[in-house]
Amino acid sequence: MTADAVAVSPRPTTKGRAAPLTPGQRKARRRHSITGWLFITPFAVVFVVFLVAPLLYALYLSLFTKGLATGTTFTLFANYVKAFTDPQFLSGVWFVIRFSIVLIPVQMIVSLAAALVLDAVTTRFARFSRLMIFLPYAVPAVIGALMWGFLYSPSFGPLDQIFSLFGAHAPFLLDKDHVFGGLMNVVTWQWAGYYMIIIYAALQGIDPSLYEAAKIDGANAWQVATRIKIPLVTNALLLILVFALIGTLQFFSEPQVLRPIANGSITPDFTPNIYAYSQAFSYASFNYASAISFSLGIVVFICVYIFLFLTRKRGSFLS
Amino acid sequence: MKKSALIAAVSAIAMASLLAACTGGGGGTDTAKPTNCTNKITKTDAPVVSVWGWYPNMDKVVENFNSGHDDVQVCWTNAGQGGDEYDKFQTAVSAGKGAPDVVMLEADRVANFVIQGALVDISKYGVDAVKDNFSAGAWKDVSVGDAVYAAPVDGGPMAMIYRSDVFAKYGITTPPTTWAEYQEDAQKVKDAGGPLFGDLGANVPAVMMALEIQKGATPFEYDPTSPKDVTVKADDQDSKDVLDYWAGLVKNGLVGTQDQFTPDYISGVVGGDYATYISAAWAPGYLSGAGVGQGDDAGKFAVAPLPQWDAANPVSVNWGGSAFAVTSQAKDPKLAAEVALGIYADPASLKDGWENQIIFPLNQGVLKSDEFINAQVAFFNGQTANKDIYIPAENAYKGFTYSPFQAYYYAQLQEVLTKINGGEISGSDAATELQKALVAYAKDQGFTVKE
Amino acid sequence: MTTTALSGLRTPRKPNRLLPHLFLGALIIYFLVPLWWMVINSSKDTQGLFGGTGGSLWFDQNINYLGNLQDLFTYNSGIYLQWVANSALYAISGGVGATVVAVLAGYGFAKFTFRGRNFTFSLLLGSVMVPLTALVIPTFIMLSQVQLTDTIWAVILPSLLNPFGVYLMRVYVGDAVPDELLDAARVDGASEFRIFLQVALPLMRPAVVTVALLSIVGTWNNFFLPLVMLSDNSLFPVTVGLGHWMSLASANNGGGHSLWSLIIIGSLVSVIPLIIAFLSLQKYWQGGLSLGSLK
Repeated sequence: MTADAVAVSPRPTTKGRAAPLTPGQRKARRRHSITGWLFITPFAVVFVVFLVAPLLYALYLSLFTKGLATGTTFTLFANYVKAFTDPQFLSGVWFVIRFSIVLIPVQMIVSLAAALVLDAVTTRFARFSRLMIFLPYAVPAVIGALMWGFLYSPSFGPLDQIFSLFGAHAPFLLDKDHVFGGLMNVVTWQWAGYYMIIIYAALQGIDPSLYEAAKIDGANAWQVATRIKIPLVTNALLLILVFALIGTLQFFSEPQVLRPIANGSITPDFTPNIYAYSQAFSYASFNYASAISFSLGIVVFICVYIFLFLTRKRGSFLS
Repeated sequence: MKKSALIAAVSAIAMASLLAACTGGGGGTDTAKPTNCTNKITKTDAPVVSVWGWYPNMDKVVENFNSGHDDVQVCWTNAGQGGDEYDKFQTAVSAGKGAPDVVMLEADRVANFVIQGALVDISKYGVDAVKDNFSAGAWKDVSVGDAVYAAPVDGGPMAMIYRSDVFAKYGITTPPTTWAEYQEDAQKVKDAGGPLFGDLGANVPAVMMALEIQKGATPFEYDPTSPKDVTVKADDQDSKDVLDYWAGLVKNGLVGTQDQFTPDYISGVVGGDYATYISAAWAPGYLSGAGVGQGDDAGKFAVAPLPQWDAANPVSVNWGGSAFAVTSQAKDPKLAAEVALGIYADPASLKDGWENQIIFPLNQGVLKSDEFINAQVAFFNGQTANKDIYIPAENAYKGFTYSPFQAYYYAQLQEVLTKINGGEISGSDAATELQKALVAYAKDQGFTVKE
Repeated sequence: MTTTALSGLRTPRKPNRLLPHLFLGALIIYFLVPLWWMVINSSKDTQGLFGGTGGSLWFDQNINYLGNLQDLFTYNSGIYLQWVANSALYAISGGVGATVVAVLAGYGFAKFTFRGRNFTFSLLLGSVMVPLTALVIPTFIMLSQVQLTDTIWAVILPSLLNPFGVYLMRVYVGDAVPDELLDAARVDGASEFRIFLQVALPLMRPAVVTVALLSIVGTWNNFFLPLVMLSDNSLFPVTVGLGHWMSLASANNGGGHSLWSLIIIGSLVSVIPLIIAFLSLQKYWQGGLSLGSLK
């Protein structure tokens, strides 16, 4: 299973550019084209209805403003001007950027280290730990956040019990100074195992003869890891990068669940998603919330294209 | 293998969609009665009115109402206490769908929803019949001009709940009557190595608003009959003074900075970590529901009047207290109004409510009954708390004016309180920052703002 | 399968196994502590939870699994079970639906040339990372206008969207299903749909399993979408239901029944099915999850 999933050799799907087509071939090609569309249709419908339409609708809504005391008026880009000068929105964006910059490398290092060790050690204990490290992936984010919330609790969490052994008080990991780390820990716990499995499976797919060659050249384990293994799982790492970026861009459940017990450090503008949610559902500012949603969607869209453009020559992951 | 996998996949999809269709059919028949009641409805022939409410004894209240009525039955859901319920209701208002027929609201939120057209004027649906049951002030809190938007149930006269054992241990023989004494006593307890004296919970901004108003602040002037004009004065000197006072208590480590109602806070209250709790008359019911004042804690609590700025001219203030409003999405507003006016109005429910100190009833019949006046409150170790503390406080309460964007105000106030608790900002600066945010928001929402 | 043959190569000559095992041990402790906490604390009542003997990582004097379970299943006339059933419904119909849609589209993109293919596919690529949460609010307003909010469709239909699944399928099909095989079937006169079902689909199985797994787990764990869409308690999935209990409990249990014990044992019960599924289906997902890193 592992092998046939990974070790499928790339097969160029070249189609010979044919000479002028006969009418029959042309007909067949047209039929081919229609069949192709038929296969795409269900997805195209879902895509249009639940991605394109909401985005366009958000764009439409964002061009209007409705105040509590006024009717709806057309205000063109006023909501965008407001959003990109709104310190609350910008601070949420800044938080997500900082969070990604710190979180993603940490997650990758943890999962890569675990995967390399698991790939090198093949005892029963290692197999057991592989499963255990993966388990948090099966736990919904809401429940993960709940559990960590309790573990962080200064009154009845274990942290304070541990710290008090040394006569100190544990920091409250959700207060203003620590909430960054506190949340990072929750997310890492949740996802590192999953990423580890992705890397591990990619490692298992590496052709063993490469190690043999390296051994003959006198490479030690560290050199094998850094010179052979890691370069060969670059695509897995890129995949993780994509997953992790998607995850942080969507960041909502964990802070939302921890908000009631975070003593005010998780504010209604904590991340752009939470800010849009509060705007829409606490203050009924749907137009402004739409502007935020649309900005998020479209900025990501554009970033992906820039990424694709920059990496297109290297035949990388998303090509 | 291919076939079996395929068959499995296809049948799974078929089953799932079938299952979905069935459930969808059940939930989708919108004209049918609501299916998500927490209570069991036995009189299945009667029309059903859906109600959201969070009173801790809501199950009994609903039971009482349903057994006393054959013409209508209540289907009750607890959609959250306070803010959570308002968010859900706001969502349903925006969607034009999903709101209950009757919703529990605190008086401070009425204007916020009236301006969105989310509530129904029930003045023509039998309000007159129960008019005399409540004081003019109680009606004023839920009215806009002549229109009545909710049926009052309970109020929240504020007082100072305290631990008599802590007071005794640190030699505080008479509870502080002024805020100056409150601070002195707090310092005294701290110097003697005692617990925190109180708590500035950022997540209960309504308390801070009440305390500011107590000193003379008027954060808002708003007359719903001219709904586009609002006066915002969240940074007047009185507001600044009160915020500075509490910022000072925090800075000197005299009070805690823990959000209230959380497990951590409750366990602190149980453990005697706070000598006082500035709160409303309904608080004991909620505290004992969480296990406070029971077991080792029993009989250790007492209550005294809220400390004053000027002992010669005491001012009474209010926190919370709720009412039942009919929503614009109610299928039968008249029937819904009957429920709103009747659901927490029968003697059995009211008695259960005040005996357990879940509500401070606004019903005049109860307020004036000897039984209520002379009740010896178990939570306060037999103190006649109603007669001595809460009834005088309620009688002296003059009413507040709330803004039409109370949700936003509370969120902003919570944010600056969090900053005060973090030592990032002085009380005065917090008031200035708050004012700036509110004025900008109000203008943005199309109000004509006076400062 | 290859590992056993290689183990001789992969272990250093002087096996220094202590260090890696210590490292793994530390990881296990880290990843299991919260789960351990959940298992232990499911046995406690409120008193034990907030002031019990033995601390937060060990049992209280009272071990009350059965009582808590009974409470969980009877509280609010058993609404918890309804939530679990809803979660299952959403995860299966949304997850399987999304998989079917993605499999068809991935195959279409990989094996057919048609007008607009490149444009459509590049649209899709751009949308892979668009956070679905950004779509939830406009989708909510859209659905509210056709009176679909607060119904199961409001959760199931948007879950069908899975651009990443389509991308994975396309990449996999492009490599794993040879054109020659399809052409041969065409020459034999098989219809395109039959070719898809009988020739291509079996070859796509690992990818199908992966996409199905990702979509089902994604829908099962989803919180934001149902939180926004639903206000009827009886339609909640278990994540939103527990979240609702948590906010009630953080607001002092609404003064009534203490919900914390129920929340904790409810969390435990709700993760058991997925954990069992993952443990018993190991050999499927371990291969499948690496698919995206093909090439």
